[in-house]
Amino acid sequence: MNMMESIVEDRVSPEDLRKFEAKYLSALKNGFVPPTTQFDYSWCLIRSESMSRVREGVKLLEDLYKKSGENDEKRDYLFYLAIGNTRIGEYNKALNYTEAILKVEPKNSQSHQLHEYITKRRNKEGLIGAAVAGGAAVAVLGGLIGLGMRMCIL
Amino acid sequence: MAAGPYNYSYIFKYIIIGDMGVGKSCLLHQFTEKKFMADCPHTIGVEFGTRIIEVAGQKIKLQIWDTAGQERFRAVTRSYYRGAAGALMVYDITRRTTYNHLSSWLTDARNLTNPNTVIFLIGNKSDLDAQRDVTYDEAKQFAEENGLMFLECSAKTGENVEDAFLDTAKKIYKNIQDGSLDLNAAESGVQHKPSNGPRGANLGGESSGNKDPCSC
Ligand SMILES: Nc1nc2c(ncn2[C@@H]2O[C@H](COP(=O)(O)OP(=O)(O)OP(=O)(O)O)[C@@H](O)[C@H]2O)c(=O)[nH]1
Ligand SMILES: [Mg+2]
Repeated sequence: MNMMESIVEDRVSPEDLRKFEAKYLSALKNGFVPPTTQFDYSWCLIRSESMSRVREGVKLLEDLYKKSGENDEKRDYLFYLAIGNTRIGEYNKALNYTEAILKVEPKNSQSHQLHEYITKRRNKEGLIGAAVAGGAAVAVLGGLIGLGMRMCIL
Repeated sequence: MAAGPYNYSYIFKYIIIGDMGVGKSCLLHQFTEKKFMADCPHTIGVEFGTRIIEVAGQKIKLQIWDTAGQERFRAVTRSYYRGAAGALMVYDITRRTTYNHLSSWLTDARNLTNPNTVIFLIGNKSDLDAQRDVTYDEAKQFAEENGLMFLECSAKTGENVEDAFLDTAKKIYKNIQDGSLDLNAAESGVQHKPSNGPRGANLGGESSGNKDPCSC
């Protein structure tokens, strides 16, 4: 198993999600959200089960990225933007983010591994997607078994 | 399905904690790849590694979470402590500040793991003896006072690295054997896989199970 898969497919515990959400919401209510509070919450969101929550996390990270002036921080946000976008199937966007890190830090091994993982995952799912599209007629006639066979031939 | 290396009867979850730059990622890399990474960048969030070892004739898969030492990751890396069977707590023998911070790392580890979690203290960079800033004896005493196992290691030369990971596993295994670690307790950090079962029922951290439609 790919090491990066464990990172990308790691799920947040409901308690942590609740805890960091409460902290974020109360900061929001007080009119100032410290970047760490927003970052902690987005890290929970992009590890959540629900895709709509992952999307929320991606939005918060994009916002952090825009507002930050610090290179290390920006790199961290890009890294998690890549993970979040991978989870919602936005592979090309995710790869743009890992490429952006590697342009600045060509030797960053975590980003290399993540880049490689996303590329593989995109290609694998692209193949399945093509099989589904190509097999549509077969599927209508032969049902799911036909589709399954078609996928196996590939 | 490839058989061989995937046959193991236990999974132990480990975490590696300690100040930034003490060599946590290098220790993990040395243990899993038997290589030293000379200029290793700071970890972003967490890194992950696995290796299958053998203790008393039992194959055990170690799932190791290597946490970032940088302060800005602290809140979220804490969530990886939960359910750790072993915690490797690392300082750098050439930087006293990293040693002085141990009590706060230890407090975190004790508060966030369970009472049976085996905590192993590692004084890393033992190859830099000329720059030593913390003596072996004082660290040994700190370990004894706090009931920790202890070794000085070098992620660079590999000295004692195997022992630190393996001794932790042996201690966990012993706790299972003598009944002090309850496998059924939530968050024991240990999963038992019935031997020769087709695949473990619910292997935490591995969610690749159901994407395998083509067994033809
Ligand atoms: N001489 C020597 N250098 C080491 C040893 N272990 C690590 N280093 C060096 O120390 C630096 C930091 O090592 P890392 O493994 O990245 O430290 P870390 O604890 O993972 O740091 P964070 O990810 O920021 O928490 C690197 O430049 C390593 O090459 C060792 O045993 N001996
Ligand atoms: Mg590290």
